Amino acid sequence: MDETVNNPSMKKSFGKSLLYALPMFLITFVFITGGKPDFSDPAGTLAILATFLGMNILYFLMHYTGKTDKFRAIIFIVFALSLSFTLIRNMLEIRHSMSFSQADIVECKIPFCHLVIPMMILPAAFTKSIIFPGTILGGFANISSMAVLWLVATLVLGRGFCSWGCFYGGWDDGFSRLRKKPVIKKISDYWRWMPFAVLLMVAITAALSLTPTYCSWICPFKAVTEFEQVTGMESAAKAGVFISLFLGLVVILPVLTRKRTQCSFLCPLGAMNSLSNKITPFTVKIDKKACNECFKCVDVCPLFALTPEDVKNGKVSIFCSKCGKCVDACSRKAIHYGIKGIPAGSMKKFSRNIFLFVSFLFIAVFSSGAIITVIKSIFNLFI
Amino acid sequence: MKKIKIAAGIFWAILCLLLILVLFPGLNNFSSGISRFPFMKINPNLTGGEAAEQIVMKSCTLVVRKPVFDGLIGERKQGFVQIDWRGNLPEIISDTIDYDLDKKPDFVIRIGRSESSTVLKPLNPKVRKVGISTPTSYGWSARIKIEK
Ligand code: SF4
Ligand code: SF4
Ligand code: SF4
Repeated sequence: MDETVNNPSMKKSFGKSLLYALPMFLITFVFITGGKPDFSDPAGTLAILATFLGMNILYFLMHYTGKTDKFRAIIFIVFALSLSFTLIRNMLEIRHSMSFSQADIVECKIPFCHLVIPMMILPAAFTKSIIFPGTILGGFANISSMAVLWLVATLVLGRGFCSWGCFYGGWDDGFSRLRKKPVIKKISDYWRWMPFAVLLMVAITAALSLTPTYCSWICPFKAVTEFEQVTGMESAAKAGVFISLFLGLVVILPVLTRKRTQCSFLCPLGAMNSLSNKITPFTVKIDKKACNECFKCVDVCPLFALTPEDVKNGKVSIFCSKCGKCVDACSRKAIHYGIKGIPAGSMKKFSRNIFLFVSFLFIAVFSSGAIITVIKSIFNLFI
Repeated sequence: MKKIKIAAGIFWAILCLLLILVLFPGLNNFSSGISRFPFMKINPNLTGGEAAEQIVMKSCTLVVRKPVFDGLIGERKQGFVQIDWRGNLPEIISDTIDYDLDKKPDFVIRIGRSESSTVLKPLNPKVRKVGISTPTSYGWSARIKIEK
């Protein structure tokens, strides 16, 4: 087989890469600065410039090198760290503590996050109301804007949200990259169905109790965002669960397995997002004619989205988050970004270019606020 | 057929690209649009329910909310009633509450703000116990568990 004909490299020349990066450069400039850059605050200006330039360099490198995952991961991980920093700083400024009090719940002042969405649906249908003590509109992380962002991202990217949008996924993505080789190599693929069981459980318990049970009892990311003040046995038990799950599923197991174990085995929104892979136009395709079944892609997939059977069948499973790790690892370029309707193996560059533009634009603009806040805080220490 | 599929795929992808382009500039409009959906209001189990009665006192206002029994389908047997004290509160709050507005007192509540103590004296068998009693940005709130 002539690989140069069937499997073109995704690399571009310097000039062509610049040309591809130019629209992103202009659009992110307008979106990040709001079209009216304010240069009155030196630390703020530097932070905006650093974020904007850093992001666009990463986008340029995606085109220039033809690789996706390592550049995506940088922004994804920095986003997760920055969001936690911003949230904690916000909590400390407003409440002088990382924990929220009963008053915050009574006054419905808890910042909303997208992980609540799977629990909202049944109560919204039956009671015509939202079971989260946050604000519908206005204030920090209100329910309406977070819902719109998640809805559009899910419609457009499907489970791509879990590698190009979620501000938690970067935690286990980051820890899964710390070791060069996994210590634990064999984990059954059946575990990847676990989030559907969690989804069912939290959807039912939340509907029956009319409280967001996953947030109250399970969410590992409470350990790095905000959690209920420890005032008794119950709140101490909850804090224990949050911290244990964070350490186990977000830190230790990802380090030992090189997989995103929290996202693969627990997150109920991840399960919901997997279903949305059915509607998005963007996908990852396997060109069976070019594939030599080396299964390198199976080994590197952080979300157990590929099994040897999937590869043999030429189909990536619904768990795929379009991170690009398998695409980068495949020496034959047999696995590639694609658009539904276009047969595997054709229009690879075109499909990748559109997907990268859409997904990168989303994460660049969505993450910019949190990243700018962090960089500004760092500059403020020195200026 | 193959060509139609390809064209449909590309059309859907371009539509998604346009959607992402309008998402951020239009976020405020989309958010306020979605906030008008009938289900976009916080459940009374979390807000504490609507105000049923306001009693203006010397330095503060006492707000008695409507009892909340809302369940997934219909009403539950167990619920709560929220009482708010707004304004400049005395060190010791002591009030007799008629939450069902039948002109008969239902419970007496005594809150020591500095030691955060709440003592409830039920006068109506439907009144169970104190659920939440907490200082708030506007004063103090208490949720008393009640039965239907
Ligand atoms: S699986 Fe859950 S935590 Fe992980 S990236 Fe997706 S939504 Fe975020
Ligand atoms: S890495 Fe490429 S060639 Fe190897 S199995 Fe995966 S798709 Fe086939
Ligand atoms: S199949 Fe490939 S793109 Fe999808 S999650 Fe796995 S490594 Fe990432």
